[in-house]
Amino acid sequence: MPRLELENVCLYFPVYNQNSRMLRKMATNLFVGGKIATDQGYEIVRALDGISVSLRKGDAIGLVGHNGAGKTTLLRVMAGIYQPTSGLAVREGSVCTILELGAGLDHELSGRENIFRLGLLQGFEYQELVELSHQIIEFSELGDFIDLPVRTFSAGMLTRLMFSIATARTPDILIIDEMISAGDEGFQIKARARMESLINNSSILVLASHSPELISQFCNRQIRLEHGKIIEELCL
Amino acid sequence: MTKVMPLGVQGKFQSEWKNDLHAAGGLLPVSIYFAWSDTKARYKRSTLGPFWLVVGTAVGVAGLGLLWSEIFQLNKSQFIPSLTVGLVIWQFVSSSITESTSIFVRNASLIRNLPLPTFYFIAQNLFRHLINLGHNALVIFVVLLLYPSNLSIVSLLALPGLIILAVNLVCISVVFGFAGARYRDLEHLVSAFMPIFFFMTPVIFDPAQVGQRASLFIWNPMTHLIAIVRDPLLGRPPETVSYLVGMAGITLLLPLVMFLFSKCKQRLPFWV
Repeated sequence: MPRLELENVCLYFPVYNQNSRMLRKMATNLFVGGKIATDQGYEIVRALDGISVSLRKGDAIGLVGHNGAGKTTLLRVMAGIYQPTSGLAVREGSVCTILELGAGLDHELSGRENIFRLGLLQGFEYQELVELSHQIIEFSELGDFIDLPVRTFSAGMLTRLMFSIATARTPDILIIDEMISAGDEGFQIKARARMESLINNSSILVLASHSPELISQFCNRQIRLEHGKIIEELCL
Repeated sequence: MTKVMPLGVQGKFQSEWKNDLHAAGGLLPVSIYFAWSDTKARYKRSTLGPFWLVVGTAVGVAGLGLLWSEIFQLNKSQFIPSLTVGLVIWQFVSSSITESTSIFVRNASLIRNLPLPTFYFIAQNLFRHLINLGHNALVIFVVLLLYPSNLSIVSLLALPGLIILAVNLVCISVVFGFAGARYRDLEHLVSAFMPIFFFMTPVIFDPAQVGQRASLFIWNPMTHLIAIVRDPLLGRPPETVSYLVGMAGITLLLPLVMFLFSKCKQRLPFWV
């Protein structure tokens, strides 16, 4: 049974500077008195601070908050990309992510070839993709464009492609970062229908978005982040 | 498919590299597929496709081989096969090492967006260079047909030699991959030193031909790593010391690889 649990997760994010900047900082620190904490040559940003979330089958949680509040970082911890600096993250079940537009696509290759590339990386079997590719192409409504190089695609078309691949099979945990809003209206309606069926099919959904409308439509819980902390938790 | 994955318990990562290697093992076919797909993508819209690799090597070998054998009055049937085999293996070694410094940086968007094992990228890089090597092997094949050297059963030793070389390169890739992701200067440093390293390694000449002065080269480990693949193809068994150096390389590098995995794997998404 899929579950996703974070217990008191903190994440310190090292930001590496160029040497020249670092040296200049060190020089100014000599005079200022070291108030800017540059630890071992890099600055540390506290991106997440004591996050505890427990998600079970059928949970659809929306993350809201300002830019830089830690939404995407939290999604990456949930997906297993970032390891928490302290605290515990436990995940059971298969995960599909849509985080960055165009991530994992090769822009010189066609849409069809990219279905296989991205699909394989998301954990599909090759044979499975052979069977699913028709359905993926049909759902994405890309038609003949599917055989053109992906670099010719618009942002909306990339969204369609990535969303269609990620949701072609029901993953146990689906993690989406502000995506579906990029498609046009017709596609959004289809995307919504598919998301609803995913949620009904016992997946866990985590969706970060700035659109209250989107969140209220798909999610049954909402978390508001500010400066990496949960400041509000709601049931919708 | 259910798996339990405690994602972040500090101090519980001694077996980090084992888990990673295991997960990457499952993705082995995927990494081969990607290596091939990347090779195709690089030559997209060109008529010859990946065979441009072969053309490049063939032109280099023909040019250098004919020119130098004239200038230095060398025996063509001896010099050209040795040059060809040496150059092809060197290309494999030097491009594997040079590109290893940017393995993770090049795959930054994957590392930041998909939970993939780190060894996956190392494997993909190795396979991509093995595919190039496979293409270039055509040139070796043709040259050995033109200048039949003493190919014999001994030549089969090239295969275990290649495996030892590849394992060494994988270890070096891990070390340079992590170091290059953290310190971006490494990429430029390595490509600056690669040409001089080329001349310090007996690639264009056969150490056997240099006679006395060959003793200078036995201190370069790369001489031995190349010898265990090249010598069998030229019809003579490699020296035992070359195998010893190959095994010693693996023995020394493996603990470093494990150490780097336990220390750096978690930080990789922040570095790239």
